[in-house]
Amino acid sequence: MKKIILILLIAIVSMNYANIKVVASTTVIYDLVKEIGKDKVTVDFIARGDQDPHFVEVLPSYMLKLRNADIFFRIGMGLEMWSNQLIDGSRNSSLKVIDLSTDIDKKEVPNYKPDASYGDVHPFGNPHYWLDPENAKVMAKEIYETLASESHQDEAYFKKNLDEFNSRLDKKMQEWTNTMQKVKGKSLLFFHASWIYFAERFGIKTAGFVEPKPGIAPSPSHNAELVQIIKSKNIKTIVMENFYSDSAPNQLSQLTGVKVVKVATAVYGLKSVNSYIDMIDNIVNQIIQNS
Amino acid sequence: MKKILFALFLFVIVSGSINAQSSINPDISLIGTFNTFTNFIKGTPEYGKLNFSDPEMELFVDGYLNPFARATANISFENNSFGVEELYGNIVRGLPFDMQIKPGKFLVGFGKLNTVHVHVWPFLERPLFHQVFFGEGGLNDVGINFSFLIPTGDVFTNLDLGVFKGSSIIPLTDSNATDRGINPIFVGRLSTFWSLDDYTNLEVGLSGSYGSYSKGYLNLLGPFASLTDIRTFNYFYSGLDFKFKYTPDSYTVLTVQGEGLLNNRDARRYDLTGKPVMGRITNSGAFIYADYKFQKQFSFGVKYDYTAGIVGSEPTFYTLSNDDKNSTQGIETWFSYYPVEETSVVRLGLQHLFFNYSNGTDRPAETTIKLQFLFSLGPHKAHPF
Repeated sequence: MKKIILILLIAIVSMNYANIKVVASTTVIYDLVKEIGKDKVTVDFIARGDQDPHFVEVLPSYMLKLRNADIFFRIGMGLEMWSNQLIDGSRNSSLKVIDLSTDIDKKEVPNYKPDASYGDVHPFGNPHYWLDPENAKVMAKEIYETLASESHQDEAYFKKNLDEFNSRLDKKMQEWTNTMQKVKGKSLLFFHASWIYFAERFGIKTAGFVEPKPGIAPSPSHNAELVQIIKSKNIKTIVMENFYSDSAPNQLSQLTGVKVVKVATAVYGLKSVNSYIDMIDNIVNQIIQNS
Repeated sequence: MKKILFALFLFVIVSGSINAQSSINPDISLIGTFNTFTNFIKGTPEYGKLNFSDPEMELFVDGYLNPFARATANISFENNSFGVEELYGNIVRGLPFDMQIKPGKFLVGFGKLNTVHVHVWPFLERPLFHQVFFGEGGLNDVGINFSFLIPTGDVFTNLDLGVFKGSSIIPLTDSNATDRGINPIFVGRLSTFWSLDDYTNLEVGLSGSYGSYSKGYLNLLGPFASLTDIRTFNYFYSGLDFKFKYTPDSYTVLTVQGEGLLNNRDARRYDLTGKPVMGRITNSGAFIYADYKFQKQFSFGVKYDYTAGIVGSEPTFYTLSNDDKNSTQGIETWFSYYPVEETSVVRLGLQHLFFNYSNGTDRPAETTIKLQFLFSLGPHKAHPF
């Protein structure tokens, strides 16, 4: 009898301290979940930081991660076209799938019928919203609400973590805004059409993209057009995600002297980028140093 | 009539998707394939000439039926006729033991490659042993498959068990058999997947298939046996497969994949007096290939093939899968160009076949050069490993 009571007690205690098992589609979400959940969550991610999140191979090991999870957070807006196959493969009928784009003020939502002639246009709008730190707060709030609904007794703990994170982010936001004053109103060239949220937040103008259309490989004729744009608008910098090939940007650099800045747009995309704040720090510093 | 029905089917789908774009519409995609080729096979009309094959098409309609199940249809157009390549449901969650159930007509999981649609293969020619032991269209059958996840910790292990009509196995055998296609066949595969590191993955599988491939009069050609001497001819395929993939960055992928099949089956043999007797034969087939994608838009590779039987021969009881005397080997190389992601592929391939006859027949090797254009219209699902 004593043994049974002991086992029951252990079970009850372990239930109280049971972590919420979370899988994040990207390392940015992974970092935000860690910030809010801290030691009350066990969190893993799917797309690595040095990986293009549009194209992730459907690996059985990812299905296994989701099989053991309570919650799956994803960016949404069609970024993770691969995620439904993982969810199906996980066979986890109690998995909660949370789309963090729900409360995001979406940009570049097509007001036309998008098709493949426009390149990889996302029909629900540009999904790279995490590059605006203000949107990170929206994501963090959604994560907090989800974790709190999963574990009511930890709601206050999650709220405290959320407030602390927002406070740190607000301070950094002030710092980033001040730093970016140097390039405010200036034009930059980007590789992929993923920078609208970042550019608008910090008042940067987008002079164009190295990709002629989203997801379409750079071409010599488009490069020739970009040479003219770089010269006419006195562009100093091309900003690109570090998982893309820098072959075409380097050609532009040789022809015009423009600097190519490769940055991580996900946590762990570079060795020095170990958090969301590190990531924005890195992007801001790279742009400022090379503009 | 079939064409009219198919046109109506297309019209209903397309008009539905245009008039009611909503999240409840299924995904629709269309794969088109166009091949030109020349060969260097003496005595054939195609020898050294530019030949145009009839275009081929696959129309996929796929979507969720409800929160627990999906359904897929794959309508094909090949050799100037329409056909149902696949039509199945798949209960993906909510079942006891995390089981998945897939009833319908689909590509059966014997080995790994057979379940992958041809347009996704990096090469052009179906492995030779598939042609001999499964038929021209691979092991595609009507039946039901049960899939289980085996609890092996952090390693993904899956067990598939299925029972099928046997349509892919039976037509290759005795045309005089009495009950072709009546006896079901059983197919199973146990596969394990390892992520060796962030960039390297490996899957290994073991497959088996058992069933009756024919039931017929043993004395069909023998003078001494009774006319009522009907025997059941069983077969057992066992298979081993692996797939290795190394992806160091977004633009570089090295894939090495191989499969082998060991065929053990009852076969009609003759004793010294010429009387037909039940015998047992063992033969095999295998392939291995390597494909190297060295930029976002280019890849090349090479494949080696071996199979018992003479590929291209008329399938009869005494050839192909029952042939433990003769064999065919092949080397295939290819170069692929993907202009814009995987929406289109231009692929140039060369296949060289060697034939080995036990009776000493001297058949020259055959070379075929093929240029393929393939396009993919519609939503592109992520590729499973």
